[in-house]
Amino acid sequence: MKEVVCKKEDLSPGNIMSANVGPIPIVLCRTPDGEFYAYTNKCIHQGAPMSEGVLCGASAPTDTPGEYRYEKEGEILRCPWHGMEFDIKNEGRMLVDSNRKLGNFNVSFDGNDVVVSTKK
Amino acid sequence: MAASKQQKRPIIDMDIHERATYNDLLPYLDNPWKRYITDSNWVQEKHLPYPIPGAAGLDRADAKVPDGRPAGNDLSFMQQQLLDDVGHEAGILTGAGDPSPSSMNGWYEMAVALATAYNDWVIENWLEKDDRLYGSVHVAAQNPESAVREIERVGSHPKMVQVLLPIDNRPWGDPYYHPIFEAAERYNLVIGMHHQEPPNYFGNFPRYFVEWHSVMPNTHMIQISSMIFNGVFEKYPNLKLAMIEAGFTYIPAFIRKMDQQYKELRHEVPWVKRMPSDIVKDHVRVTTQPVDELTRDEFLKFIDLMGSDEIVCFSTDYPHWDYDSPFRALPPLGEELEKKIFAENARKLYPKLPERKATQ
Ligand code: FES
Repeated sequence: MKEVVCKKEDLSPGNIMSANVGPIPIVLCRTPDGEFYAYTNKCIHQGAPMSEGVLCGASAPTDTPGEYRYEKEGEILRCPWHGMEFDIKNEGRMLVDSNRKLGNFNVSFDGNDVVVSTKK
Repeated sequence: MAASKQQKRPIIDMDIHERATYNDLLPYLDNPWKRYITDSNWVQEKHLPYPIPGAAGLDRADAKVPDGRPAGNDLSFMQQQLLDDVGHEAGILTGAGDPSPSSMNGWYEMAVALATAYNDWVIENWLEKDDRLYGSVHVAAQNPESAVREIERVGSHPKMVQVLLPIDNRPWGDPYYHPIFEAAERYNLVIGMHHQEPPNYFGNFPRYFVEWHSVMPNTHMIQISSMIFNGVFEKYPNLKLAMIEAGFTYIPAFIRKMDQQYKELRHEVPWVKRMPSDIVKDHVRVTTQPVDELTRDEFLKFIDLMGSDEIVCFSTDYPHWDYDSPFRALPPLGEELEKKIFAENARKLYPKLPERKATQ
């Protein structure tokens, strides 16, 4: 399945939006470097709409209790409900458990059109 | 009679309360501390608004030393009533709450002196007089520097196996206390935690003792959570924690609760890098006592829900009123699991306990 979901300029870097590929609701994310990523618009935890969540950064793992180092600004999608963190530049994997991830879609471009397709 | 009752399998008892009276400690204290006790009648503050309303207060009514001294004050009576009768392989002494230097809310210099006196007393009068007994280093944890010095002073004694921290109203995972954990790890000592008289929790007591005793696991959960989420086990990967005297049935629910919170709130504690349930499996052990009466099936379900049969370790809590009998407290669990719970889990936990004897 393949579908043009928007024009590039419809989504500015650092933002997310909902869209559909056929009947499937997706969340389209654009990282601050301008890249596009698309995932199922349904949290793998309890099904919250990910497009209502927040694109943000995350505290990096550290060896020092009490140390906060905020990284990956604009690359972490946090669920609107319980706030689980998904790394959108790493196949939508959960930060706490990289074995679990959001459903992935391919993103390609046709001129200015953003084309999202289901993975084979 | 003792021989016929002997426990069939090795038994390592993780909670035996020997009792130091203030009189016992006087020879081990310098002045002015001694004088504050003899002249000013100093005794450590107590907090509970009620007595412990067992048949004889805190202790088993039959555990009073025959000459009238309080329960737990006499080694030979303890040998007769507990160690020989049951057939203990080993038992770990945890003190009797008095003194509990780390529980003091002021006058930390006295706490330091008491910890030192207690350790010298227990080594001389108990650990060096019975092969089976092992001890807990008391410290004044309010002052971590002094606690580290005390661990360095007595922690290498071959029969000191853990550092004891009371569960009161200080959550011990706070980085302020981490030097204590560093020293414990360096000396191959476990951190043992045993409740003292905590409000559960914070600030106030339930109206009745029966409530206080029912929600005791709360205070243990607070400490486990404090140790895990403050990153203690990430920082000291060889450190082990023994949670003494809240039973074990709270663990299956609690590890799930912590895992769920961690999945949702990891970013707040980025120094924690594993699921709390995995940290518990690797680092935390809990005692059976005070056991909840369970059928064999119920017991096995709890073990199953913990995902490990190495977390639970047997303890009697002798000579206290809520003592658990090694013969009657647990349902039959099968050879393998009984071996682990009665001895092998504790043996694995404490690196300074003796190896298993070939005949056992
Ligand atoms: S539904 Fe997404 S974190 Fe719970």
